[in-house]
This record gives sequence, structure tokens and C-alpha cells, in this order.
Amino acid sequence: MSPVTSQEDSGRLRRLISNTVGYGTIGLTLAMLVFFLIVPVGLIVVKAFYNGEEFTLAYFELLFDNDLQMESIWNSLCIGLSTTVLTTLLALPLAIVNARFEFRGKALLSGLLLVPMVMPPFVGAIGILRFFARRGSVNLQFMDWGWIDTPIEWLAGGNVFWAVVILEVLHLYPIMYLNLTAALANIDPSLEEVASTLGVPRWKQLKDVVWPLSRPGYFAGAIIVFIWALTDLGTPLLVGYEATMPVRIFTLVTDVNENPMGFALVFFVIVMTVGIFLLSKLIFSGRKYEMMARGHVTSAVRIPGAAGKLLIYSLLIGTVVVALVPHITVLITSVSDRWFMTVLPEQYTGRYYEMVFQTELSLTGIKNSLMLSTASMMLDVILGLLIAYVVVRKLIPMADLLDSLVMVPLALPGIVLAFGYVVTYTDTFLDPLENPIPLLIIAYGIRRLPFMVRSAAAGLQQTSVSLEEASATFGASRFHTLRKIIMPLVFANLVAGGLLCFAYAMLDVSDSLILAMKDRYYPITKAIYALFLEAGSGEFIASALGMIGMLILTACILGASLILGKKMGELFRSA
Amino acid sequence: MQVVFESVSKSYGDFPAIRDLNLTIEDGALHFLLGPSGCGKTTTLRLLAGLEEVTEGKIFFDGGEVTHTPSAERGIGMVFQNYALWPHMTVLENIEYGLKLRRLSKEEESRRLDDVLGYTKLTQFADRLPGQLSGGQQQRVALARALVIRPNVLLLDEPLSNLDAKLRLEMRDNITNIHRETGITTVYVTHDQKEALSMGTAISVQRAGRIIQTDAPRRLYHYPRTPFIAGFIGETNLIAGSYLGGGKVDTGLGILEAGSQEGKFHKGDSVIVSLRPEAINVHIGSEPNDSVNRLNLKLERLTYLGDNEHFHLQTADGIDIKASLFNVSHHDLTEGDTVTCSVAPDSLLVLHPEEDLSSGT
Repeated sequence: MSPVTSQEDSGRLRRLISNTVGYGTIGLTLAMLVFFLIVPVGLIVVKAFYNGEEFTLAYFELLFDNDLQMESIWNSLCIGLSTTVLTTLLALPLAIVNARFEFRGKALLSGLLLVPMVMPPFVGAIGILRFFARRGSVNLQFMDWGWIDTPIEWLAGGNVFWAVVILEVLHLYPIMYLNLTAALANIDPSLEEVASTLGVPRWKQLKDVVWPLSRPGYFAGAIIVFIWALTDLGTPLLVGYEATMPVRIFTLVTDVNENPMGFALVFFVIVMTVGIFLLSKLIFSGRKYEMMARGHVTSAVRIPGAAGKLLIYSLLIGTVVVALVPHITVLITSVSDRWFMTVLPEQYTGRYYEMVFQTELSLTGIKNSLMLSTASMMLDVILGLLIAYVVVRKLIPMADLLDSLVMVPLALPGIVLAFGYVVTYTDTFLDPLENPIPLLIIAYGIRRLPFMVRSAAAGLQQTSVSLEEASATFGASRFHTLRKIIMPLVFANLVAGGLLCFAYAMLDVSDSLILAMKDRYYPITKAIYALFLEAGSGEFIASALGMIGMLILTACILGASLILGKKMGELFRSA
Repeated sequence: MQVVFESVSKSYGDFPAIRDLNLTIEDGALHFLLGPSGCGKTTTLRLLAGLEEVTEGKIFFDGGEVTHTPSAERGIGMVFQNYALWPHMTVLENIEYGLKLRRLSKEEESRRLDDVLGYTKLTQFADRLPGQLSGGQQQRVALARALVIRPNVLLLDEPLSNLDAKLRLEMRDNITNIHRETGITTVYVTHDQKEALSMGTAISVQRAGRIIQTDAPRRLYHYPRTPFIAGFIGETNLIAGSYLGGGKVDTGLGILEAGSQEGKFHKGDSVIVSLRPEAINVHIGSEPNDSVNRLNLKLERLTYLGDNEHFHLQTADGIDIKASLFNVSHHDLTEGDTVTCSVAPDSLLVLHPEEDLSSGT
């Protein structure tokens, strides 16, 4: 007698189909990672060492003998390191205030601190260039006040280095701040209380208890900041800082076939970024300290005294104002009319916003970016959920390896990936010169996949396996269960992760600049860059376009942080 | 449906969770898997459900092998310990989930739903979310969800462990009634021997990954195979001794008469004597009729429980003995008194000492 009743037989086929589709999708996901992550990066590495079939170190010799290239490597390293140090100095007091003090308006101010994330620093550069130009607002105001007689060359010579660093710091400190806050908020306050009862002085508590426990969180954030600052293309490009690694790569990508030095340089970047990233994972992955169950947490958050309040408010408000300076300058630029040799414009106009929607370049830019970001977001949601599911439930052998692999794009600079795509897919059906849309969607998607995977995995880890097992016992296939049970339960995580993916796709500079080669395929960022380079009113339309992009992104980031709350910090870390 | 485990083993890495398990669950039974935590009873249930893959051995449903049949195709209904109700679905959606997968006719579907909502008394809660229900209601939803698909076997994993004592008693009756009405073969995992004794048609006692005895509740209580079972099912006094032959055992309580042992033991064997507290007669103000198994014990402590009273007694050598008496209206014994007790030979159980379960496979 059959152990299985007849009604079970009809279900068997449906289950088979469903499982085939499910595992097929997982297979496609893995194939995507292979073709659009491993192969392009691998090809660069190979081409850096091989001339045709022949192993060679000639490209590296060429690179090391080239003063401009060596100078740009050095400059970029300095940008990365300075940015990391400065963001730490800025973010540490902010994080301490957020983790340890309670005061009115804390939620609002903490939210405002994140706003600078929503604008690519290179848009801010447009405003900064105007305000700090030789005949710019700042010099005019200073001369007006009689502080100076002749204009200061803010952006000449070595100063341009600091202009880039400051723009990077103002853009990236929220990442450091989120990571440090999460790290500090995680420390059980009773650990410090115990130290106090033992008579350990405060400074020694910080050194022996707080620092060791928050160190993994700190480095996880610091590495992201370092890598992003090191490899940001837009900012140095716009302020005209030619001697930086990303700008060099951007210029080399156009004639990569004639000048193989590009391979060597990109290989260098891979080693510096992915190498550091993997090293940090290796060092810190085994050293996450489990906190014991937390007792009363209330004692951790103190209410500051009057002097403390003054200090806290001036710190937070001061930071927000300074961080918004680039945004404000862009805003003023975008609405300025008749602005010549005065501190602020003499008249204001909304004309440029109208022109944004009348100009072919900007209008298609907005349309393209919305389309590309939406498509890449959907790609991320599907891939991210599947990968997170596979990794969390360990559905395939070596799931941990897959987990590490999908986190790599966090460290992989856009310039490297875009460079890899150009090298790999030129003269194929995916040739970016013909139509960059598929590669742009994939590039956007792959680079933001870590956010989505982390976000979905966080949700899955909170969902009891027995909910899935219960579904399985009723005859549901794994992927029926995924759709009906798991997806609704981790929906908030998917939305939050999706919003972030969308926002960062809209912000993307390096993939957009490198892969979109024809006007009609320009995403918003490349449209801003192209408009900025145009004479006449281009700069103003670019600013207006930048403001519109910012508005879209502010909505996304606010939405994501509302959904995720404090957990948002966990998305921006390497380990 | 009859379920058979044939030499089933399950290991997690080096750890053997189930070792060489043989078990037959009869069609229509309410079969209990009983044992202390970590004995492998939940693993056994999950193997039956197909949620875990067996390492060795075979499982049969009505004679057909299902060892490698996926859970989805075994036609089981399972109630999880944490209920595993889907928090985003209403009570009704939770219950009809399994039905929808079966593509039944609309009429059949709604008939079954009304039916199951009725006898689990959930009709008025159909549109609520699980989070809005009490523990007992959630438990009933889990039960309804498993029953509505008319499973071949119903699996219950400690279904009452999250309920308070009063509700637990109520649900015991509820489950017993549902089992009687539906006649579905039910496998019930618990560590609560009272649940097993009061509800089960058969009980398998599990220890360290093995089943050490399967029997009806009454037989299990009166004829436990090992000292461990005697101690686990109900309370008992276990006293080491050596067999003297002819039904006599030399123990710390003196030489006890145990009735015929039918060649189960040889002279000189080490044995364990099991003495249920209620089998000890405490003689208050009277003398035993004969001198068989007569004990003079010191009263150490009394615990009055209303319907019965526990006597904590001790021999001159310091062996603790517990006796329990029912319906004791009055006595004037105080701690320190010497009490005369006796035990009928046939209520005294002689067992082999515990076998070592940690070795072997």
C-alpha cells in the first residue's frame, strides 16, 4: 500500500516545478556573481601580468617609472588616510553623545546627521567651487569685512587636496558615526559599572573595556570610509585634482587597449581595497565578542547638565550646519540669477529648475537614473533575499564562502568594477559602447548587493526555522514557503534594503561615468557632470539637477532609517 | 496509519542523537515518546516528520518505506513546541494554508474549515492574528492547522509545555477527545510522565537516544524494565541488594521477600529493588498481620498534601525511604518516632541494575 495518499501526488509535480524554479534562480544568482564579479576582476588581474600568453611585469615597471601615476597613488592614499582620521575625530564625539546621552530633539538631530550621505560629494563640489573661487563669495565677504586685501587662493596648489578631503569627510562621517554608535550602544553598561566598583579610573575603563569591545565595530566602519574615500572618482574629477588614482583610471579606461598600464594601476587598487577588506575580515571575524544578556540598560543613558547640554547642542547643530554647507552652496547656486562679484546673488530665480525639465540631457538623466535604479533595486531584492536565505539556512555547501563573496563589492571600488566590465564585455553583446543599460543595472546591483544581503539576513535570523518547517509539513515546496511565509515576514528588511540600494544607485558616480558613453544613456550623475562642463548656464542647471536628485534620495534614506532604526549602522560595515 | 522505525540512527557530526532505534506505532494509537530532555525524543519526531534525514535505518508508513520521502509528501500534521504560527496570517489563513496546497473543492474546503474551527472552538477568533491570542488559543490554532489537512499521522512536540497548569489539564482532555473522535494516529512527545500516563494508549520511554521500553501506561508503571524507568514514571524507592534465590533479596532494609522471580536472577546477582511509596504500608496504632517484609523505620519528616501525606523515613543505616499514604484523617506521629511498615511481596519489584547506556552504538 502506498504510504502517500492520492491528493499528495498532484502536489508532487507542483513542488517539483517550484523547487526547480527556486534552485534555478539560485543557480542564476551564482552565475551572475561569477560573470559580473569574479570574471571581470579576475580578468584585470590576469591582464596586469600577461601580455597575450606571456607573463610579464613590464606594466608594473612602466607604472613605477611614471611619476604622475606614482604621485596619484600617493595622493589617493593620503586622501584615504586623512579622511579616515578626520571622520573618526568628528564621529567619535557624535557617537558618544548619541549612545550615552538623552536630550530633547535627539531623534531629529541624529537623523539630520545622516543627511550628508544623500549627496554625492562631487555635487557639493560644484557649490564649493563657486563659493571658494578666487572671486567667490567667501573671498568677497572677507574683503568686505576688511579681513583680507587680496583674494585667497583657496583651491590652488596643495589646497585642492584638502578641498577633496573635506568634501569626503563631510560625506562619509555618517558611516563612521553609525558604526561607532552601534558599537558603543552594544556594550553592556554594567561592564563599566563593574570596573567602577573595582575602583578602576575612568580613562583606564575606556582603554581596557570600552575600546577593546568597540574596536571591531570601529575598524569595520573605518575600512569602508578609507576605501570609499580612496576610490571616489567624482570629487577629484570635479575640483580638477588630476593627480589621483581614480581620475587616472578614468582617463586610462578610454584607451585601455593601447595603454595596458591601466591594468597594473587597477590591480594596485584591487590589492589595496579588497586586500585590506579581506584582511580585516580575517582578523576580526573570529573576534566578535558575545555580550552577556543585558540587565538594566537605562543607566547607560544619562541626562546631561546645563553645560553638557550646551556642548551637545552646539556640537550636533554645528556638525549638521557645516556638513550642509556644500548642499547649501549648491542650493544657492541652483536658484541664483545675476550673480557677479557679489557675496550672494542679487536676484533669485526658479528658471534652472524649469530648464532641468526642458533640457534633453537632464531630463533623460533623471529618467534613466530612475529606471536604472529601480531595475537594479529589484535585482538586488531578488538576489539579496535568495543569497541571504541560502546563506542563513546553509542550503548549499560552502555557504560561508558565498557570504564572504557577496560582501566583497562593499570594498570593490566602482572604478574597478566598471573598468573590469569595459575590459570583459567590449565587443560582446553587452558592449557598453552600444548600450550600457544592462551593464549599468548589473553594476549598480552588484555593488549594492551587500546592503540587501545584510538587511535580508538580519530579518531571516530573527525568523524561527520552525515557521518554515511547519509550512514544509503541509506539503509546501521550499520556494512556496519562501514566497508565502518568509517574504512577508522580512518585508520591512527588504523595503529598507531596497531603498538603500535605490538611493546608492542614484548616487553612483564611477560606474555611471565610465560605462555610460552616449548622451542618451547618461544617468543623472553623468548628466550633472556633463552639464557642469558645459559653458553658460550648464553649471546652474547641474546644481538644480543635483538638488532634485538630493530630494529623491533624502526621501529614500529617511524611509530606510525609519524602518531600520538603530540597525541601520549594521549595513555599513565590513566584518 | 502504522509507523515503523527499523534500526534507525541519527548522528550530528560525532554525536549520536538516536542509536539503533526500533519502534512500532500502531494505527490509531496515541503514542507517547517520553524521556528527559536531551534523550532524543524530539529528534525521533523530526525524523518521522521528515524534517531530519536519518543517518542509518528505515522508516515505514503502513509498510511503505518513507525514509527518504520529503516531509512535504508524508502527509503529516505537526504541532510545534513554539506552535510556529505564521505571525502575518490570521487564524483562518494559518489554518487554510495547508488546505490550499491540496487544491480541494471550495465546498470541501469550507466544510473542513467550519468543522475544525468548531471543535477547536476558534470560530470567533478566525480573523485575529496569532499575536492577539492567548497561549491556549494559539495552541488550539496550531492543533487545528495540523488537523484540518486530515494528516496520516499527527505529531505533537511538547504541545502543552508553554501553558499554565490549569490550561494544561484542560488541553489534555481536549487532545484526548480529538484523538478519540478522529482516530488519527498521533505521536506525542513530552517529558511529563503524568501527561503520558493519563492520555497515552502506548508509551515509549527514551533515554540517551534509545527506546528502553514500550508499553501501555499501566504495564509501564507496574512493570518498568529498568530502575531508570521505575524512577522516571512515578516515584519510587530504589534500593540496591543481592539476590539470595527463592525470591529473597538481601538489601539494606534487611532480607526482603519478593515473590517468585521465575529464574530471572541467579543467586548472588546484584539487583535493584523498586518500592513505590504507595506500596509501603505504614502501620499507625496497629500491627501488621504477619512478619513478612516488616520494617522498623525512623520518621524524619512529614509532608502533608491534603489528599495524601508523605512520610520521609530512614533506616538505622541511613537509607532514606519515602512512603505515601492516602486519606489519612488523623495520627499523632511526630518526627523522630519509630514507625512500623510492611510491604506486600508482590508490590516489590526486583530489577537488574542499570545497563551502561553511554557505550556501544
